[in-house]
Amino acid sequence: MSDTASSASGAAAYRPRGRGPLRRILGEPLGGLGAGLVALAVLGAIFAGVIAVHDPITIAPIDRFLAPSGDHPFGTDNLGRDLFARVLFGSRIALSVSLGATFLSLLLGVSAGLVAGYGPRWLDNGLLLVFDALKSFPTVMLALFLVTLTGPSLQAVVLVVIIANAPSYARMARTQTMSLRHAEFVLAEQSLGAGAVRIISTHILPNIIGPLLIVASMDIPVVVAIEAGMSFLGLGVRPPTPSWGSILNDGFSYIRESPWPVLAGGLPIIVTTLGFTFLGEALRDAFDPKRSGGEKR
Amino acid sequence: MLTYAVKRLGLALAVVGAVIAVVFVMIYVIPGDPAAVALGPRASPALVAELRQRMGLDRPLPIQIVRFYGSVLSGHLGNDILSNESVLTIILGLMPHTLRLILGAMSWSILLGIPLGCLSAMRPGSIFDRITAVLSVSVIAVPAFVIAIYALLIFSIGLHWFPAIGAGEDPMDELYHLVLPSLAIGLGWVGYIARMLRASILDVQGENHVRTARAFGLSERKIVFDYVLRIAILPTLTVLGIGIGQMLSSAVFAEIVFARPGIGKLVYDAIITRNYPIVTGTVLVTTAFFVLVNLIADLFIAWLDPRVRYSLQR
Amino acid sequence: MTIKFTDRGITRRRLLQGAAIAGIAAAAGPKYSLAAGGSVLRVRSYADIQNLDPAHRTGQPDGDVMNCIFASLAVYKAGDTWSWQPFAAKSIKQLDPTHVAFELHPGIMYSDGFGEMTADDAKFSFERMIDPKTKSEYVDDWAQLDHVEVKDKYSGVIVLKQAFAPLWNSTLPTDSAIILPQKAIEAAGGKFDTKPPCTSGPYRIKSWEPKTKLVLERNPDWKLTKPDFDEIHVMPIEDEKTAELGFEGGELDYTWTSVSSIPRYLKNPPAGAKFVRKPSLAYVWMGINQDFPQFKDIRVRQAIQYAVDRKAVVEAAYLGAAETSTGLIAPGLPGHRTKGLISHDVAKAKKLLKEAGLENGFTCTLAILNKAERLAAAQVVQANLAEVGITVQIEPHDSGTFWSLGSEKAGSSWKTLQLIIDRFSMEPDPSWATAWFTPEQIGVWNWERFNSKEFGDLHKKGLTELDPAKRATMYVKMQNLMEESGDYVFLTHEATGVLYSNKIVPALRPDGIPLLSRFKKA
Repeated sequence: MSDTASSASGAAAYRPRGRGPLRRILGEPLGGLGAGLVALAVLGAIFAGVIAVHDPITIAPIDRFLAPSGDHPFGTDNLGRDLFARVLFGSRIALSVSLGATFLSLLLGVSAGLVAGYGPRWLDNGLLLVFDALKSFPTVMLALFLVTLTGPSLQAVVLVVIIANAPSYARMARTQTMSLRHAEFVLAEQSLGAGAVRIISTHILPNIIGPLLIVASMDIPVVVAIEAGMSFLGLGVRPPTPSWGSILNDGFSYIRESPWPVLAGGLPIIVTTLGFTFLGEALRDAFDPKRSGGEKR
Repeated sequence: MLTYAVKRLGLALAVVGAVIAVVFVMIYVIPGDPAAVALGPRASPALVAELRQRMGLDRPLPIQIVRFYGSVLSGHLGNDILSNESVLTIILGLMPHTLRLILGAMSWSILLGIPLGCLSAMRPGSIFDRITAVLSVSVIAVPAFVIAIYALLIFSIGLHWFPAIGAGEDPMDELYHLVLPSLAIGLGWVGYIARMLRASILDVQGENHVRTARAFGLSERKIVFDYVLRIAILPTLTVLGIGIGQMLSSAVFAEIVFARPGIGKLVYDAIITRNYPIVTGTVLVTTAFFVLVNLIADLFIAWLDPRVRYSLQR
Repeated sequence: MTIKFTDRGITRRRLLQGAAIAGIAAAAGPKYSLAAGGSVLRVRSYADIQNLDPAHRTGQPDGDVMNCIFASLAVYKAGDTWSWQPFAAKSIKQLDPTHVAFELHPGIMYSDGFGEMTADDAKFSFERMIDPKTKSEYVDDWAQLDHVEVKDKYSGVIVLKQAFAPLWNSTLPTDSAIILPQKAIEAAGGKFDTKPPCTSGPYRIKSWEPKTKLVLERNPDWKLTKPDFDEIHVMPIEDEKTAELGFEGGELDYTWTSVSSIPRYLKNPPAGAKFVRKPSLAYVWMGINQDFPQFKDIRVRQAIQYAVDRKAVVEAAYLGAAETSTGLIAPGLPGHRTKGLISHDVAKAKKLLKEAGLENGFTCTLAILNKAERLAAAQVVQANLAEVGITVQIEPHDSGTFWSLGSEKAGSSWKTLQLIIDRFSMEPDPSWATAWFTPEQIGVWNWERFNSKEFGDLHKKGLTELDPAKRATMYVKMQNLMEESGDYVFLTHEATGVLYSNKIVPALRPDGIPLLSRFKKA
């Protein structure tokens, strides 16, 4: 669901000019909400050790399936572990995996896209084939294969995300590079004898990276969803590591015994998705010249 | 346009070929012996060796791949390692269930997503718009299996409105069995389509021909339907094309939770039991399907949108 | 046997009429389609049928159906204690330790024009099981069969090479004693898979949609018993929780539940349903690979045996539904141990580790099958072993990988296998439990690489010992040997929860496995 940047607030187009981007982001209610939710997730991850009273992996089977209370704000799971602590510590994994995997897919995707867009025709065709093949490979099957190979691990999750997302970034980068390679300033540089690497890195990349960054920021929560899906199929992180996907999956197994674990695992996923999506859209509206009333940086 | 179509078709075929080669490499690398799993604990080593030979697993990898391409061209996808039945027959038998599921999910996302997107776009920034935005993103975020299990618990077990499991008996019953599973797969797409459409409507509204129409004093209703929606729907169509492929992938969640027969469950089971002829056959069929749908979507867009058509001819 | 593999395999399938689905129709009101008449029984099986040939059947889903469509010499009695009754046979009698006489009922007709069941067919069917050309996975069920002597049209004598104790427990009342005509098997090419060349039981196959539904209908030619239901619909549903929901949604008349759901259903059965808890024969244990360098010292293995709080593991994994076991052999079978040798003792575990020079602990892996119960059990083991300084890394595997972990044929993972939680199911004869742990089975199914000649010899003796008391002592001794080796931590036999509509009366073996053709209307 990633390669078509969904634009949001066209409302921004009718906004008065001259406000700073930051104020514009926070001024828009949904942008402010997004920034707040992202901050909440980040702070939760950083201060997990301080906020959580209980240890996220200490088991106490006697206390299983407790409903939320002062001591256990989100209740407990099937092994009596405190869900609040697991959610907090899980946010570390969710955020680090999401950010890491998204960064890596962007890095790989954009590099490949630049090469395809700027390089010779045969290379472009070859890379295009690779992008499309990777994209049409069923994600679930990819996950199954990788995990049977490496065992359930964070690396496997990251790898699945990269293979699922990088081709979209590569295609976007390729299209934009192609539209720029015949631009006058690039042709001028070429006639001055500048090498391909220099042209790509100093002239093309800075011009195409903005929109890609924003699309990628909106893909960050998708990573969490992929991790959850993999956990459901038993392919997520290694137990007893607390991750939102594994909390959800454990909760799913015992949903007839207690509804709380599923809620505890699902809520943070919704919160971060809302946060990153609205923040990403607000960012785009703030920086996209077409949308910010003709304002140029 | 024709050259474009031919070129795209060639690329599509190459993609399918490449994906299959990758599957064979994966099968070659991952642990687990299909022959041992298939025959179960009581099989003697000699029996296992015999089955391996029959499956062609003792041959070098490139030969396995070439043999598979050969048999695909002659219309065979191999046989199930256990029942020795044609993989093609099995896939053709289960495909309709999954296609119905995807069509159902599509219907949800179109029937709910498009009106929501239009209504939001008409009053950007309104309370309705913002609530729709928050709800849309929320349903995108919730994993399909969570929606599936809650739908099952609430509407089947709690309220007894819909059947819980299976695919149904006759066409009407099948439709009835389809409601909850397709909702589970499609709900996220409702949110996604609503947001996509809203964004592209707002985009198009800013364009010159719409501004001109507005300046001529045409009614807002006429503008939206005749000038805006016709263009704004195009990116949504592309996304739906890609969506079909992704729904094919996420169908496995609904098929597991609702005990529905289907391709997703088939390939999932085949992988964990190392029933490789089914794996390769299914990947071939689903990849071909995915590539084909995208191809059709692209050609359709190229045909509908004069700008794309023009850029292709250049 | 019986290790439960998940379903695989599929075959022919009816081509569905292309029903046009334009949109979502909001049809109103629930539709209880078929059960309304009460003559259709809808049951769940954990997988689709894969092979209905008695010589090549794969698991319980096949067995459930074979019970209905074929006639074996004898069958298990439904109830709470293990016993059998003649079925295709009018009488079966042990003449001496190596001779068993039988007389078939006259008038059992095969379908498809293959005529009446005769003693010749019995001779063919049983001898076919041991014929090397058949390559039957079940050859051990008839391990001591020499030949079958035909006396007249309906009667004959099974002649054994030597006494064979499991014959009465787990051969004659099972699918290994199914009788089929030679002509039909030969017409099918010597074997068949999901399409039997003929049937002879209380039911016959009406239709089969692979992975979706198998419909059995009453066999009009069957005269020996009178089955209650016109049709039996068998639905393959792998996931137990889904089956439970399907039952509660009114779409099944019978299913068994996941073990961890037992307490909830005992307390609170769904409206219109009954729930019973049955003891299971399966055994779950944690194995320690004694050839792995870290575990070569028996004191290290023993430390693990003492460190694991088996009660806590079982309690957490099954939410209190199952009890800890004392060994491989469940209560009610000869050879069941009333008590194990080792009980939870952290101090002793620490002392043993210290003696082994490992008081600072070490790291090892624990392989499990990827299921909620095993995951919970493994995490408690992990916590237990952490108490004595052992760091456990849990490695969940899908069934394809898991079932080949310790096999020398399937790769090299048997060398790095360390701890493993495993479960085997079995038939009601103790030899079924011990068969997999003999020295010959090392690297086949004996993944702990437990190597005891005494154990192997006792297993062979146990097969030919007919005195139940002597036999029981042998199997107790064998389980002691296993535990003394330090390789095994016996966890539980689990339990079986059976959920059924109060419109039916199920017929169940003592371990809860259904005998579908004998289900009755309430």
